[in-house]
Parts: sequence; C-alpha cells; structure tokens
Amino acid sequence: MKNLTTIIGFFAIIFFFQSCIKDDFIDDLTDAELRITTSIDTLAFEGEFQLEARFLNTIGQQENVPIEWESSNQEIITVDASGKLFGVSVGNAIITASTVYEDEIVRDSIFIAVAGNVNVQSVQSIFGVIETTTFYTLEGDFQFIETPTGVTLKIDDNYEASSSLPGLYVYLSNNRNSISGAHEISEVTTFSGSHEYDIDGVGFNDYNYIVYFCKPFNVKVGDAELNF
Amino acid sequence: MKKIAYTWTIILVAVQLSFAGGPWTKTKGKYYIKLSQWWTIFDQHYTDTGLIDPNVTTGVFNTSIFLEYGITNRLTGVVNAPFLSRNYMNNIRSGTTGELIIPGAAVNGLGDIDLILKYGLSTSSVPVSVSIGFGIPTGITAGGSQENLQTGDGEFNQFIQFDAGTGFQISPKVPAYISAYTGLNNRTNGFSDEFRYGLEFGVGLLNQKLWLNTKLTSVESFKNGDTAETATSTSIFANNTEFLSIGLEANYYVTERLGVSIGTATAIRGEIIAAAPSYSIGVFYDFK
Repeated sequence: MKNLTTIIGFFAIIFFFQSCIKDDFIDDLTDAELRITTSIDTLAFEGEFQLEARFLNTIGQQENVPIEWESSNQEIITVDASGKLFGVSVGNAIITASTVYEDEIVRDSIFIAVAGNVNVQSVQSIFGVIETTTFYTLEGDFQFIETPTGVTLKIDDNYEASSSLPGLYVYLSNNRNSISGAHEISEVTTFSGSHEYDIDGVGFNDYNYIVYFCKPFNVKVGDAELNF
Repeated sequence: MKKIAYTWTIILVAVQLSFAGGPWTKTKGKYYIKLSQWWTIFDQHYTDTGLIDPNVTTGVFNTSIFLEYGITNRLTGVVNAPFLSRNYMNNIRSGTTGELIIPGAAVNGLGDIDLILKYGLSTSSVPVSVSIGFGIPTGITAGGSQENLQTGDGEFNQFIQFDAGTGFQISPKVPAYISAYTGLNNRTNGFSDEFRYGLEFGVGLLNQKLWLNTKLTSVESFKNGDTAETATSTSIFANNTEFLSIGLEANYYVTERLGVSIGTATAIRGEIIAAAPSYSIGVFYDFK
C-alpha cells in the first residue's frame, strides 16, 4: 500500500507540476515607424487638405506621440501643427512628419504637387506576393486596392493554400510575427484560385502585412508584405 | 452542420495506445490491470508535408486504467479508460515587451474510452487473434477559452485488428516473443479511416522479472474524410493524421504479480502530429 501511495504521488507530481500553463515568447521586435496614412497627389492652389499619421512602436502597436509637421518649401505648401496643408503657390514640396521615440527621430515623407483648382487623390493600389513561412503550402499573388469604404484584397489565380490545417484565418497586421492588434479579415474558406476580401473601415495605409494564422493551433502559416 | 474535432491531443492518444498486446488472450478469469500516467509536451509538429514546423507549446497528460480480462480462454475483454485527461497550451507573449498576446488555456476531463474484444482464432505455436474495438466519444471536444482543446475526438470509431505472434527462447533463460498486427479503423463524423499495422519484439530478463519490448506502430490515413476545404463547419480541426512511431517499454515484476512499467515513444515520420517523444509510467497487477 505504501508503494502504491508513492506511485500515485509520483503521478500527481507529474500531473500537477509539469502540466502547468507556461509562457512562450515570440520574436515580435520590429522597427518603430511613423506613417502618413492619408495621401494626396495634387493639392489645389489655395486648397486645403488634412494629413494624418500614425506611430507604430517596436511591436507594431499604435501609440499616441507628438508629431511635428514640416514642409520643404513653405512658399509652395504650408502645413500647420495638426498636419493641415494649404496650397500657397504652384509647384512641388515634400511634407514630412516626424517624432522622437527612444532618442531616435522617426519620420515619413510624401511628395505633393500644387496645381489646378481641385485636390486630386488617385486610388491607391499595390501588387504583392503571399508566401508561406512554414512547410504548409501557401502562395499566390495579390492586389491590395483602396476603395471608397476601405480596401479590397484581391487574390490571384495562382493562389494555393494547404487545407490540412484547421481554422486558418487571414489578418492585416503591423507585425509580421504577431496578430496582436491585427485586423481579422476572415476565416480562409478558399484554398485555391482567385478570390477577394472586401474590408470596410480599414485605410489603405493602416497595415504593413497580410498574415495567415491557424487559430486552433496558434501557428503562423505565412505572410505578405504591403510595400507602400 | 458537420462538426469535427481532432487535435494533436487525440493524435497523441492514438500513438499512446497503439493497441498491440499481441495475439495472446487471457485465461478465463485471469486479468491484467494497469494504472498509468502518459504525457508529452511538444513545441513542434510534423506538417502535412512530413516536415517539422514549430507550434505553441502544448502538453497532453492522460491518467488511465487499462484492463484485460479473460472472459473465456479464447475471449478477452479489454478496456482502456483515460479517466483524467489534461490538454493545455502555453500563453503566447511578446518577446519584446512581455505583453500577453494569446492567453494559454487548459481542459481537464475524461478522455475517450476504448472497449475491445479479442478472440483467439488459433492457439497453435503461432497464435492468431482478431480484435474488435469501439472508441467511445466520452471526452471533451471543445475546451479552453478558444474551444481549441480536447480530451476526445467526439466520434464513435470501430476498428478490427488481427494479431499474430510467437514465443521463442533466445537462450534457455531468456524467453522472447515477436508479434505483428494489422487492422482497419473506421471513423465517423468526417474523420478519415485508417489502416494500422505494427510490430513488437519483447525479451524476458532476470528470470522473467524484467520484460523489455520495442514497438513499431504505424497509422496510414485513407484521407477520405473532411478537410478545412470540404467541411462546412467553421470549427473543423485537423484530419488525415499519419505516423510511424517507435517505442520502448520496460516492465518489471516487483513481486510475482505486481510490477511497474516505464516507456517512451516517438513518431519518426508523420503528418499533422507532434514531433516530440511521449513518456509513460505505470503500475500493474498481472493475475496470471
């Protein structure tokens, strides 16, 4: 009986001490980034336009920081402290947003022309490639397109994804190794061929990456960079 | 809506059980009972291409009662009951800030119970038996905060297995045996059916007080079940698991009937299965 008690006690030790939930750490360090999220190609002469920018810290999370706006040529475009532009005269200027984060200057710039009587904003669109980061099949070209209500992720004919993993989801994220703070687009239900996702309420410049993630097993499967 | 629940938990249980046991049936009224603890902790797995990828650290622990009872000299009843099964996944934290990104979770409960009848077809020097088994879905199929943890697969499976083997002497004081089995596992609820086979070799040492054995176990999927592409449910879990595993086990008779066992097994080839060893310890009573 004493031996049996010892054995059962040994089982209990294994069960209760080895089976505790612990921590796994992921490498989610990324460069801090300040990004101008609104865009304009041509600012009207004596026209106004509000620029916006967002700061992403070293894990891709948005943080509120003081932002300074600067124009390369104030005789062409002026910009106030809130990022509001004014077209002074015909010509070109570079507008820069900057902030100081952990003793380093982080900035983003856009090139803007002043001409005509109306502001011109072209529809933004980029092409890219989805690639697997695992040994599961995931590949395909895509187009990321700005729409009046958000964005559309249009995936091409050459797309292929493994259907072996359950619960595969696609996200927009600012960290290619993490879905923390990411925007969940949808569960993946198409595993080959063209398809698209209409994503309302998301700006074209809001996210840096498309991330494919298996929810039940908490496994990242692949990603794509949104090269702006 | 069709709903399938199948995770590495169940896969590992399958590896653990690898119901072999050889073709030998128990004599009427005799029995063998074993209380065991089986566990594995893994942070990588075989993908559907057979290559290894990382995953969140996952642990599976089963405390089981295994009973073989001789109903007649040719017919043996077998029950394998994981009466306490625990499955957990670790927290996922930022390596930069330590911030909790995905909370870990655990589920505890009864696992799936296997009921098996083994019938001795031949009692010659190379005995042959047939076993019919039923996997009773007594486990939890959706546990944890994300409902992605299970102690059972939620399906009622039936399997048939043929065993053959023989005993022989390596030397006058060293008996040994070798056995092989093959079988089919018919699974329900959209799970793929399976072809199973295995080999076992055992040797008795220290005047038959210590028995060492090694097992080669394989499950090949017919891949005729649902996948994430074909199932209509949003909660489908992995299917089409395959593996080839090798295991080692030592059983030591402390007394004539009471003994302890220790074992380990690992998949050496696989698809959608943990790529880490499992371990077991147990205490048994062999009423021969």
